[in-house]
Amino acid sequence: MELYVRNLFLMSVLLYVLGAAASALIYFFRKPDKTGMTGSFLVNAFCIVASGLGGAAAVAKILFAVNPLELINLSSAIPFISLEMNLDNLSAFFVLALSVLVFSVSIYSIGYLSHYNGKRNIGLFNLLYTMFILAMIGVLTSANTVCFYIFWEAMSLFSYFLVVFEAEKEENTKAGTVYIVMTHIATALLLIGFVIIYSYTKSFALNANTMAIPGIVKNIVFVLFLIGFGTKAGVIPLHIWLPHAHPAAPSNVSALMSGIMIKTAIYGLVRFVLCYLGIQNTWWGIVILILGVLSAVLGVAYALMEHNIKRLLAFHSVENIGIILIGLGVSFIAFAQHHQIVGGLALTAALLHTFNHTLFKGGLFLGAGAIQYAAHTKNIEDLGGLIKTMPLTALFVLCFSLAISAIVPFNGFVSEWLTYQSLFANILPEHIGLNFLAVLAVAALALTGALAAACFVKLFGISFLGLPRSEQAAKAQDVPATMTLGMGILAALCLGIGLFPLTMIKLLDKVVFSVGGGSIYGQLQGGFMLAYYPLTISVNSISPLAFILALGAIILLALIVIRIVGGKYIERRYGTWDCGFEALNSRMQYSATGFSKPIKIVFRALFRPVRKTIVEGDSMYHPESIMYSTTVTSIFEDYLYEPLYRALLRFSKRTKFRVQTGSIHNYLLYIFALVLLLMLYNRFA
Amino acid sequence: MNSIVYLLIQLLVILLVAPFVNGLIKKVKALSQKRKGASVLQMYFDLYKLVKKKPVVSNISSWIFHVTPYIVFATALAAALLVPVSTKILPPQIPGDFIMVVSILALGRFFLMIAALDTASTFGGMGSSREAMISALIEPSILISMFTVALISRSTSLPQIMETVQKVGLPLAHPVYIMVGLALLIIILAETCRIPVDDPATHLELTMVHEAMILEYSGRHLALLEYGAAVKQLVFMTLFVNILIPQDQMIGFMGLGALILSLLIYLLKVILLALAMGIIEVNTVKLKLFSIPNLAALSFILAFLGVLQFLILGGKHV
Repeated sequence: MELYVRNLFLMSVLLYVLGAAASALIYFFRKPDKTGMTGSFLVNAFCIVASGLGGAAAVAKILFAVNPLELINLSSAIPFISLEMNLDNLSAFFVLALSVLVFSVSIYSIGYLSHYNGKRNIGLFNLLYTMFILAMIGVLTSANTVCFYIFWEAMSLFSYFLVVFEAEKEENTKAGTVYIVMTHIATALLLIGFVIIYSYTKSFALNANTMAIPGIVKNIVFVLFLIGFGTKAGVIPLHIWLPHAHPAAPSNVSALMSGIMIKTAIYGLVRFVLCYLGIQNTWWGIVILILGVLSAVLGVAYALMEHNIKRLLAFHSVENIGIILIGLGVSFIAFAQHHQIVGGLALTAALLHTFNHTLFKGGLFLGAGAIQYAAHTKNIEDLGGLIKTMPLTALFVLCFSLAISAIVPFNGFVSEWLTYQSLFANILPEHIGLNFLAVLAVAALALTGALAAACFVKLFGISFLGLPRSEQAAKAQDVPATMTLGMGILAALCLGIGLFPLTMIKLLDKVVFSVGGGSIYGQLQGGFMLAYYPLTISVNSISPLAFILALGAIILLALIVIRIVGGKYIERRYGTWDCGFEALNSRMQYSATGFSKPIKIVFRALFRPVRKTIVEGDSMYHPESIMYSTTVTSIFEDYLYEPLYRALLRFSKRTKFRVQTGSIHNYLLYIFALVLLLMLYNRFA
Repeated sequence: MNSIVYLLIQLLVILLVAPFVNGLIKKVKALSQKRKGASVLQMYFDLYKLVKKKPVVSNISSWIFHVTPYIVFATALAAALLVPVSTKILPPQIPGDFIMVVSILALGRFFLMIAALDTASTFGGMGSSREAMISALIEPSILISMFTVALISRSTSLPQIMETVQKVGLPLAHPVYIMVGLALLIIILAETCRIPVDDPATHLELTMVHEAMILEYSGRHLALLEYGAAVKQLVFMTLFVNILIPQDQMIGFMGLGALILSLLIYLLKVILLALAMGIIEVNTVKLKLFSIPNLAALSFILAFLGVLQFLILGGKHV
């Protein structure tokens, strides 16, 4: 069995490599237009099959193979560098998430890329796309830190190239710069952490024994990892690259970046902190929990103020990473205190939310891409009425919106319910301080859920319903079937996991168990009903399936009763009430700005809104035109990064002429001094 | 068998009592204004009349507009199935807890809010936007207050919570429950769109929230929405009375008689709460929209104080 799984997985990797090779050929020998599309179809077909195989291998690994599988083990002539790849349950789970997403995104891409046809080199795009996927698989399966580091760097670089793929727009290159700088600072910190660990264990292998590392060093390494992975995940206040980079990238890439790339950081935290370093202190979990609460609330709050669909979604990624971190934080706290069952439950919640977020956020970015494809704008204020031209996209985006707002019967609800339950189970009488934190986290989760619902009512209601607010939106046409299909698969999975959560939890339980968590599956009962029995006598359970059946039955009953009492349904179509004035037009509708204004006013201390009104015309009472614009202040960029950036500039300006004198003699002196220092260090240390 | 009886009782009681409660509150308001007012049964007649009427549908709207009334009504009723009106008959396991109830109601609210945007009407957008704000502000306090009682009973399931509070004796004399009770009272007013948060009797755009969202609805659609709102109101009232004024422990016997007695007491409690809500509504003024955060904050603080008291005092049973 294990051999089959291994071969299946390697086959999938090989197919990706073939896809990359094919796109490289197309890139170099492309003929304009026609071949580009055929080639693109071919490469995407490779990716679809590869992801299918990869996903199957991952599921098979988790279900049937107990021990980690060694995939590749190639040592090289260069010391320390050897290509070692393993597939254990944790890796397999993330590979599964990646495969599911790549599967549907690749289907979507067949149609989506057609708008680049003749304008851009699709071969180059596909090359970067497949290499990006390969790099992520490498990150998820690396068995030593050097390997991990190389793939991590490759992942960052390929995603950077994809972010700046439409490089002629200035905001894209700017976004790319912010992204690459942030991600490299993070990578540098990770590298320092790896080297510190190496200096104690003398091994780069991920299964090295880290018991001997002193506590204080472990704490330092934890902080390095937290900042390093936190930046990639987009944890507040390290999130600033996310709302720049996601909108800049093409939508199918945004789906991958938000859907799975930022999750590699969650993988990193679990892999390196929980499995590799081992949880040492309770405060580790507490820090993660606090960061999670902050990210969740602030992420959704900023999302509400955004009117660029993709920036809005990027902020929701920050929010959802926050929710994942709440679960992760609780699990780390519980593990530190040796409550393996609570820890297992919380980790299940966090990982399930990771998977769910991959599905619905990936889907939402695909939806945003479809809107952009059809209406040529990312601005919600210019949209409206799209449900009539693109009914299926509207339906799927509605599903994703409900899922991300944690509403039954979609998957987001199940993972948030588990998060609530883990917070609930973590409230033990002996830790008053922790309990306060848990209660605050509950309040934050509730607020986050409600604000997310508000935000998605805005996104869905303003862009798909009502009257079109611009020419482009009125002229929009439906997207190609492949794009719809790509979204449809993800929507079906969101509903499927929502209705049958036990299937995922069964899989997850093995993953959680393999990283040292207590098994909660033994405490689950009831076939297709999800029922988590807490440690005490009480009975908490939810069943989305029972709910949806009840909902259907009630609706049917209502229909029958109304039919009997009220007779056949005959409606009269008439215009919307326009207060008896002129005919209603699209400018009379609520705008996205107007919709979120009450919330902006309520939280004005946070948003610090700035408004500008420009009145043109001579008469005060009869102005020719009024321009009104309002923006919110981004406190982290203005009060944290701006001063930091300015201080850095000042510092480098000052040192420029003293250190970097431009004289080669000085530089030689520096080199000599450094060599001397190193020799002295080697002699005495 | 138990489950079927439970479902039937829940359905019948909630469906029959919900419009009556609305009539009762209206009656209190009328009497306080020295009017005779409509009969307490007026809402039943209204519903009947509305179902018979031919609905007018905006020609801008999509299928969202058509399905929303059904979803709003069905979610309210589905949530009602999870909140037992009597603990004298309970199925072995209810597939949902209070977190699920909140989420189910959120489904209905989500559809109501998008349906309001579907007709391109300014009123709809206004109501939807305000509802989004109010629900966001009130949701943390719902979760925290319910979480507090859940902590005491070590379970988030509502039957479990209701059975635990029966051992407390008189919960309303216990500091934790007093806080939670006050928080819940504010939640009820906000969730059921009553003064001081919203005014169910108004048709002035400055004050409308719920009414603005359903402005474009007529006929059977409106009937379903009104009925749904009444059911939702009763769900919250049931939550309040059955957690804070439990009575089933006083009935010393089991069987059909106990069930009927328990339901009668439940009815009495609901009537009393409805009268109290009517009196509150008569004696308060509608807050301006941006004062609602203060009220929500008050509710949140009360709920939070409740949970803090529990955590510090360990307020098990008194």
